[in-house]
Amino acid sequence: MTVSQNIFENLRLELRRGCLTLAVLVQLRREHYGYTLRKDLAANGLDIDESTLYPLLRRLETQGLLVSEWREEEKRNKRFYRLSSDGEVMLDQLLHEWQAINESINRILETR
Amino acid sequence: MELLDRYLQAVKKFLPLRRQDDIIAELRANMEAQLEDKESELTRPMTIGEQEDWLRKIGPPMMVAARYQTQQYLIGPSIFPVYWYVLRMAMLWALIIYSVVIAVIIPITTSNGSSVVEALLRIPSVLMTVAAWVTVVFAALEFVAARYPEKCPPIAGLSGNWSPSSLPPLEKESDGKRKGRSYPQAVAEIVFGFLFLGWLLLIPRHPFVIMGPGVYFWRSSPFQLADMWITFFWWIVALNVVQLIWRCTDLLRGTWQQSARLQQIAYKVIPLIPLIQLITVRDHVYVALKHPALDQLRHGNSVDTINKSVHMGLLVVTAIIAIQLAFECGQLAWDWYQKHDASH
Repeated sequence: MTVSQNIFENLRLELRRGCLTLAVLVQLRREHYGYTLRKDLAANGLDIDESTLYPLLRRLETQGLLVSEWREEEKRNKRFYRLSSDGEVMLDQLLHEWQAINESINRILETR
Repeated sequence: MELLDRYLQAVKKFLPLRRQDDIIAELRANMEAQLEDKESELTRPMTIGEQEDWLRKIGPPMMVAARYQTQQYLIGPSIFPVYWYVLRMAMLWALIIYSVVIAVIIPITTSNGSSVVEALLRIPSVLMTVAAWVTVVFAALEFVAARYPEKCPPIAGLSGNWSPSSLPPLEKESDGKRKGRSYPQAVAEIVFGFLFLGWLLLIPRHPFVIMGPGVYFWRSSPFQLADMWITFFWWIVALNVVQLIWRCTDLLRGTWQQSARLQQIAYKVIPLIPLIQLITVRDHVYVALKHPALDQLRHGNSVDTINKSVHMGLLVVTAIIAIQLAFECGQLAWDWYQKHDASH
């Protein structure tokens, strides 16, 4: 990997990090377990590694933004996650912030 | 699937003990669901090679487990600027203190010049020890701050509560022409000053450090130095001590950028005193014969020539320092006159 490719990769990861959290929170307005959540995100064009997504779900739950429960489905115990009430408030704030940033970037691009 | 079980077992070993069963159960459920999806797509069980490719894509067990750990820095970005500043200061002061200690102790205790070399070679290990201790203390601070953030007061200079009025005044160049010393330069002057003082103090007991192998020739020669050189030597030592005290004081007061004009004058006046003593010595005797009765006839003329040459040399050195002193005094008077004139 060249230096510029390396820099691009680092910047891309930084840019994606916050967006992925936002996408996960949006997607978990409806209940999911890890694998189906990953499939849904991928179907919407947002590929995310298992080793990134599953720990992220744990972290968001620790922060009180998600709630989870173990339940049997298709003869297998799975951990289902959904947005908590605190998570809903946080998601509204983050979406507002994301839209403001998006609009600003678009305005800056238009004025070039 | 044996390979999946082995993989999860390996991941488990790197997970925190308290949560490992829960995490592994969740990971297993997700991975088994993914495996079922893959096999239903293929309409056959995955081969060993396909399973290996799939697990390789997920990542090494240690890396997967590490993602579940709380992110922990040895020294995090919030305290790193303070750590870096303290580390540099601690190492600079350790270097100064160590130089002082070896400059004082070695002339008293040493019996040969190799002790100086040994002391100098110990400098890297002293600095590494200091750096290690500073790092350990800051790593402990980081550990505590990460776990109990509510109990840790904000670090001065890094919190939002700092006051712009607490900023230090602008560092002015005293006469607008000469460039001020940098901090490392000021520290280096002190360190080398102490090392020079140590070397100077070694001379009476070990003249080898100044004369090298010539000392054996000197000892076997019929000549000896006159007693006033001892007084001169201690004047030079005193001058170095005064300079070092002044430089340390400047460093502690944060005024190392430029020596005060008074200091520069003092550095010229102090060596003038022993030089004047030397040039006014009776009959200008700087070197004498060890056994005048025996060697006067053979080496008398040589002694006279040496004494005349030394006297001439001392006169030239004294004249140069006196001219420099007069120049400094003239500049001081001119600066004073300009300031006085501007105030009226």
